Amino acid sequence: MKVFILFRRKILSLYNSFSSASGWKAVKNIIFLLVGLSLISGLYISFVRVLKYLHSVELIGEILIWKLTAMVFLMSFSMIMISSVVIAINTLYYSFDLKFLASSPLKPQDIFADKCADTVFYSSWTLMAAMIPYVFALMKTMNLGFGFFAVFTAASLPFAALASFFGIALSLFTMYFFPSSKTRDVFWIIGSLSVAFVYAAFRMAKPEYLLRPDTLEIVAKYINFLQAPTAAYLPSWWLTKTLTSYAAGKTVFILWLFLLYGFFSAFYYAVIKSASAFYLKGLSGAQNGSSFSGSPYRSWEEKAAEKFKFKKIFFCLLSKERKTFFREIKHWSQIILIIALVFVYVFSVKNLPLDSPDMKSFICFLNIGAAGFVVSAVALRFLFTSISLEGNSFWILKSSPIKTEDIFYAKLLFYCVPTIFLSFLLTGLSNYFLGADRFIFSISLFAITVITFTLCVLGISFGAIYPDFKVENIHQVESSYGGFLFMAFSMGYIALSVAVLAGPVQMHFMSRFNPAYIFEKKWLWISLTFFFFFSFILSQIFWKIGLNKAEKYEI
Amino acid sequence: MIEIKNLVKKFDSFTAVNNLNLTVDSGEIFGFLGPNGAGKTTTVKMIAGIMFPTLGEIIVDGINVSKNPYEAKKKIAYIPDEPFVYPNLTAREFLRLIADIYEIDRKQADKSIEEYLSKFELLDRADKLLGSFSHGMKQKVMVAGVLMRNPKVILFDEPTVGLDPKSVKNFKEMIVSQTKKGVSVFMCTHILEMAEKICGRVGIIYEGKMVSCGPVEEILRVKNKNSLEDAFLEFTK
Repeated sequence: MKVFILFRRKILSLYNSFSSASGWKAVKNIIFLLVGLSLISGLYISFVRVLKYLHSVELIGEILIWKLTAMVFLMSFSMIMISSVVIAINTLYYSFDLKFLASSPLKPQDIFADKCADTVFYSSWTLMAAMIPYVFALMKTMNLGFGFFAVFTAASLPFAALASFFGIALSLFTMYFFPSSKTRDVFWIIGSLSVAFVYAAFRMAKPEYLLRPDTLEIVAKYINFLQAPTAAYLPSWWLTKTLTSYAAGKTVFILWLFLLYGFFSAFYYAVIKSASAFYLKGLSGAQNGSSFSGSPYRSWEEKAAEKFKFKKIFFCLLSKERKTFFREIKHWSQIILIIALVFVYVFSVKNLPLDSPDMKSFICFLNIGAAGFVVSAVALRFLFTSISLEGNSFWILKSSPIKTEDIFYAKLLFYCVPTIFLSFLLTGLSNYFLGADRFIFSISLFAITVITFTLCVLGISFGAIYPDFKVENIHQVESSYGGFLFMAFSMGYIALSVAVLAGPVQMHFMSRFNPAYIFEKKWLWISLTFFFFFSFILSQIFWKIGLNKAEKYEI
Repeated sequence: MIEIKNLVKKFDSFTAVNNLNLTVDSGEIFGFLGPNGAGKTTTVKMIAGIMFPTLGEIIVDGINVSKNPYEAKKKIAYIPDEPFVYPNLTAREFLRLIADIYEIDRKQADKSIEEYLSKFELLDRADKLLGSFSHGMKQKVMVAGVLMRNPKVILFDEPTVGLDPKSVKNFKEMIVSQTKKGVSVFMCTHILEMAEKICGRVGIIYEGKMVSCGPVEEILRVKNKNSLEDAFLEFTK
């Protein structure tokens, strides 16, 4: 079986990448491993708390836990399915080794099966990894033995594969009927819209009400809701039934397990058989070039460059930055997800169960930290990666008579303006819905503007200090050592900013609670000035280090 | 004119270029030959200012590349062995970007862009994304970008890889016409036949050291060979 020969190369590559790691690379791997383990431990602790709370509810505690489990599996199934739609089209039709494989004496279904394994792995591993602490928390709460974990492991394999195979089948048939590189772009947009929709829909379903039975008018209705199957026709429910049956000591769990494996085998056979007829046509069509046509006229930035000759290079670079950004479909999918994130963020803030106006104003202040976190994630995604994404084309700028500062400024202006707009949306709308008083409104808007600008400068600077021009995809840049340092540094900066501004905010609340308390304005100005200057100095230091580093790149 | 003095480039303990001394005159085509990993690309990158020498200096048209890279780069045109360009820009947009960076008058730039795209038979693809171009088509766009800006020094690293025979002929003619304007051409190549035909002098680099340099006839005479290929193999044994 040639599939196994193909599989062996994956194992060898994996083995070599681990065994060749030594020195600093090995240390970095260990750091990442420890961070990952601590994240999983954090998730485990949170899940245990939630499940123990649910378990403590009289009479319906266990039903609540299984209902939540069914919902978790349903969500995971949906997310894997959506991810696989986007990932399948890339692995099946655009992997770097496809030309080699397709020109080798291999059957199309063997190549297809090999790429299916990649798709299943890439689309499911993060969600499945996040499920492990949940299952351990379930075992701890309900006193289940390790047999439960073994059953979960056995059932989760066809579960994840089935979810991924929906995306694989969809890609196969779509590429067969529409064999074009444009199909990939359409899939990216559809995939992103679906993720955004699922994310927003899940939040709007107000899952927190599950923990508050009193919010449903009729108790019987609530119990019925809990006992009803959660999408009985989907493998997520079959996985739930496998686990509930095993936990209850019923051997019927074997039948549910058979259903999962049986359905997966049938589906796998049907898709692989179809691939022998359909795959090559799609593969051939995927190699068609883009038919996009640009305008022969000059852009507004190029016209501005002619008017403002002293900043000619800056405007030309801005034009290049804008065109290359908006013509990359992957950026559009990120924008769609950010819009969904803003919607969910503001919706969550609006629905916070807060009664007193003081508490609402206080939350508005703390919201600076939360909005700052979102901004730092956006800065990581767009600003930190912007230098590395010059990629192999960076030699063009590097060998040209261009000041590195102009490259930095063009990137900063292009990304900073929309990021500040985003931060205004997050804080402004939150303040509006929570009815923040004028003082809190002003201080939070001022703070988030300074924080956003500083994070944008830091994003570009850290991206320049830790560039990687040889990455295959953007996620490798984000999850690099530099990306990790940038996020850690950003968190520290945001925490310090909130701590510095906490003084005047405390005085503000004291003067509201106690009219005799004197609000000393000088402390407000001292705090604001200190906050502004340390942000400015931090930006300046890292900007200079980044510039210095970028000027010394050897490519 | 290019002057290379005592040039050394080290990567940790490995010496990629070892005490290289060379002068390429105005109007001269210099062929830089050597086996894979000999130090050709490293040398070209140092002249282009995208890699920095460990020791020594490079002077292009009287300007020290390490000390004043900004001014030196205005006089240099470089084409790497792999034609990496912005895949999401069209050919016209890319050439306009180059024209603006090198401060070419816009009317003149638009005229040159049309002229070179037409010469390389790319006019009908002018507004298509470079990402959809083949290797050879990208190479043509880059050559057009070099020729339109009237540089003093042109650096080529394997310039004809991917070009069709007609474009190779066009390319050779254009290179010769550039030297008539006083341009120095520094060309790394594995195509010994081309080096033999169009280069005034050739240099052979082996394990970072220049093992032979001079007109082709002189190199053949030293090793008593009839073809550059035989002499090259003898020098790099």
